[in-house]
Amino acid sequence: MAEKKKSTTKKTESKKETKHEAPAKQEAAQKAAPSGVSTTKTQEKARIGVFICHCGTNIAGSMDINAVQDYAKTIPNVAYVDNYKYMCSMPGQAVINKAIKDNKLTGVVVAACSPRLHEPTFRTATKEGGLNQFRFEMANIREQNSWVHMHDQEGSTEKAKDAIRIAVAKAGLLQDLFPKAVPVEHAAMVVGAGVAGMQAALDLANAGIKTYLIESQPTIGGRMSQLDKTFPTLDCSQCILTPKMVDVGRAANIELMTYSEVDAVEGYIGNFDVTVRKKARGVLTPAEAEARGIVGGGCNGCGDCEPVCPVVKPNEFEVGMKPRKAIYISHPQVVPLIYTIDWNSCIKCGLCVTACGPEKKAIDLEAKDELVKVKVGTAILATGYDMFPVEKKTEWGYKKYENVISSLEFERLICASGPTSGHLVRPSDGETPKRVAFVLCAGSRDNTGNGKPYCSRFCCMYSLKHAHQIYEKIPGVQAYLFYMDIRSFGKMYEEFYYRIQDEGAKFIRGRVANILEDPVTKNLHVHTDDTLLNRPVDMEVDLVVLAAAVQPKEDTNRTRKLFGVSCSMDGWLLEAHPKLNPCGTTTAGVFLAGVCQGPKDIPDTVASAEGAASAASIPIHKGEVELEPYFATCIEERCAGCGMCINLCPYSALALVEKDGRQVMQVTEAKCKGCGTCGGFCPGGAIWMNHFATPQIVAQIDAFLLGGEQ
Amino acid sequence: MSEAKHKFAFYLGCIAPNRYPGCESASIKAMKKLGVELVPLKGASCCPAPGAFGSIDLNVFYAMAARNLVLAEQMKMDIALLCNGCYKSIWEVNHKLKHNQDLRDGVNEVLKEIDMEYKGTINVYHTAELLYNEKFIGVEKVRSSVTNPLTGARIAVHYGCHLTKPHKDREFENDVMLNTEHPSWMEELVAALGATPVEYRNKMQCCGAGGGVRGYDIVHALDIANEKLINLKNVGVDALTDICPFCQLQFDRGQIEIKEKFGVSYDLPVLHYAELLGLAQGMSPQDLGLDLHAISCEPFLQKVL
Repeated sequence: MAEKKKSTTKKTESKKETKHEAPAKQEAAQKAAPSGVSTTKTQEKARIGVFICHCGTNIAGSMDINAVQDYAKTIPNVAYVDNYKYMCSMPGQAVINKAIKDNKLTGVVVAACSPRLHEPTFRTATKEGGLNQFRFEMANIREQNSWVHMHDQEGSTEKAKDAIRIAVAKAGLLQDLFPKAVPVEHAAMVVGAGVAGMQAALDLANAGIKTYLIESQPTIGGRMSQLDKTFPTLDCSQCILTPKMVDVGRAANIELMTYSEVDAVEGYIGNFDVTVRKKARGVLTPAEAEARGIVGGGCNGCGDCEPVCPVVKPNEFEVGMKPRKAIYISHPQVVPLIYTIDWNSCIKCGLCVTACGPEKKAIDLEAKDELVKVKVGTAILATGYDMFPVEKKTEWGYKKYENVISSLEFERLICASGPTSGHLVRPSDGETPKRVAFVLCAGSRDNTGNGKPYCSRFCCMYSLKHAHQIYEKIPGVQAYLFYMDIRSFGKMYEEFYYRIQDEGAKFIRGRVANILEDPVTKNLHVHTDDTLLNRPVDMEVDLVVLAAAVQPKEDTNRTRKLFGVSCSMDGWLLEAHPKLNPCGTTTAGVFLAGVCQGPKDIPDTVASAEGAASAASIPIHKGEVELEPYFATCIEERCAGCGMCINLCPYSALALVEKDGRQVMQVTEAKCKGCGTCGGFCPGGAIWMNHFATPQIVAQIDAFLLGGEQ
Repeated sequence: MSEAKHKFAFYLGCIAPNRYPGCESASIKAMKKLGVELVPLKGASCCPAPGAFGSIDLNVFYAMAARNLVLAEQMKMDIALLCNGCYKSIWEVNHKLKHNQDLRDGVNEVLKEIDMEYKGTINVYHTAELLYNEKFIGVEKVRSSVTNPLTGARIAVHYGCHLTKPHKDREFENDVMLNTEHPSWMEELVAALGATPVEYRNKMQCCGAGGGVRGYDIVHALDIANEKLINLKNVGVDALTDICPFCQLQFDRGQIEIKEKFGVSYDLPVLHYAELLGLAQGMSPQDLGLDLHAISCEPFLQKVL
């Protein structure tokens, strides 16, 4: 009891103190405001309108809206309170509009969902009511309240009161701000030239935008060019892809930069300065040759250099199953048709230089990496995927048993242009397999910690296609598909599933426990539990194909950091909103296309690429973008010119300049992201963070800590 | 002979000293040449057998294993042992007691009656692990200790179950040993002795004896062993090596029983890896007690000696 009394007295004391302090603070806030910012509006008495949204029953179902409304009326500076079923609807916005005018409001607080969703909506409503749009503050009583405290009516009601009180405290100190418009460079960049990147680049180019298409490999085409046929239409992958590759190579608006990587990115939406590393190819294009004064020279793809090269290496395009030389093209349809030297294996014997001859002079064994700077308005990441190293799942013996192959190896073996001219053979003895097992979810949907927890989304369908392909090519063959679920969700996919069943493939529902090799025959025993028949299975087969999971490309993490893009827990790049903004990212002006955002089959990849291209072209066509005016400003009379903030800034937005005979800090507003690092640090309190100014934040903290006792 | 770099409390278990004393002598002598001194863990009891005890009363199982652990704690030495069954009991109980305070309190309650307390101060290793892990010995050191290479011998490996499985409950310092589905580190150790390691079908299958099966239903137990012996016969081997005396008993003594019950004979010599190592380092078959094996090792010995 005694203790309780004590604390009450304490509270009263502190209350007195703050009461006493409050006007002083207000004064300080006005003083602290930079000279350029008008403070007249904060001097007038704040009149705040509070608008509480029910969000149907999303909010109203978990708290007492009337109690919240009654409370809001008691908060100082609140001049008007109302509630509505859907505040974001047109009638809801009209309520705000009317209230501003009728009550001469100076600020608006909407208590509803997350500002991520509807801040722009309510800013517009505030503006239409005649106030500066930044006179608006949002109190999140849905995501951070009603949804997480769904079964605590009393608790969520109290929490909503807190949130509104805090928002009102800030709203009273908000100032008019004016967004800055910056021009947008009429050019875009696409990183990755697989089918996603190519489609995006073609769309952008066709929309009249200069597009830089960056590809780390010597040729464009990506994963799709390695595939034999595509499901469910059974089109030849190369046949439908090659025309697109040729179009990309020809498009006047596309500047194709193969064998190149993004090295550095600076700037912001509308004005990205990107440094591209053109890796030393060792072979000159005709244009490069001409630039060096070799008229009519450069690589014409004749291939004279290749036979003379004495170095033999496994061809990565054929998953190592076919040889290539140290000077090579990975397959006949490469775009651009320019040879490349693999410096890791080239012995610089010079035989290729001789074979190339004095006319073309295409080979330069001393070539060095080149850095090229380009300026673009927006960028699309389409960095694609790698196969999960399925040998990590040791129970299936990949890379241990010769006759256990991956699905990508299968694609090359069944492909007419592959290492066996399309004859599927057992690696151990070159025989045609008569019993082939397909292990689905090989590393996908795997919660053991050794694989990937997600569904890789296209393995079911390509495994069905693989089964079809062996029935097409090998008389008397038997396919066994070991599966968890067959996910045939797309257009004509389920029909394709039935077709493969009719062709004779056997489907065994069960995760494969292990695969054991008979060392004498090199046949494989696939062990599982048939969970439909409830019995153990030991299936002897000639060949096992593992439908391996997919994972983000190794370089994805480096690239995404350059562009300031986040990734989700599984490493795939993070979209701005999984449903409503799947191509955007949280970095304005950077978009995602294809599998780098998450596993997709070809139709979904192309659709996402077209979406990303459309989204990336909008700011370019508008010609200018508005930047949030959240930048830091320097209160020059307080700045000591110490320069401590310069190095702290992660965006290189600050500099020291000479003014009236002394050093002061200056902000490049377009570069500043308003992170507040400098503002929080400045020893003299000389940095004013627009919209997140110290007095505004202190008022919020005070409002929270003082509870309802004002 | 160099000064021993590592010292371990040597836990023998039951089957090795009683049935295959050569494992014991070979381990002590061969490991000494490799810089590891095995000091007898005096007063130790049965591990206790994980299947037989663990399936009946876990508290007795924990308390008995903890008592053996405390004996080594008192010696201030980590335990080395040469049997997969012992590894399952002693390593796993040590691991559980280190991470589960409630369990530990319960066990210490029991140990109090004999004035003992489990403190969790030591680690437990299998000798095969010591041989493979470079921190202690490593394959290269094993190779360089060989004076009588077992050249020309085709030797298959039986890993047994309890050392490496269940995978989720094992924590080896060496990643290679975490491959419990298709391991090949024992084959490396076999090759280090100059022999040719041989792969065979269903290598990782159980010997059939563990978990009390051999004691409870010998015909089923032998059926499992017989399947492995068929697979071994198909690839043609001179000997089978193991790292668990109980597996060894099942394959060695089991071949006599298989002959009696199923009428098939294999006459496949079965040797603990410690015995092979002893041979390769020049110990005599008599020192290794190979004459005590149920299946004669003579044909194999003629090939390698």
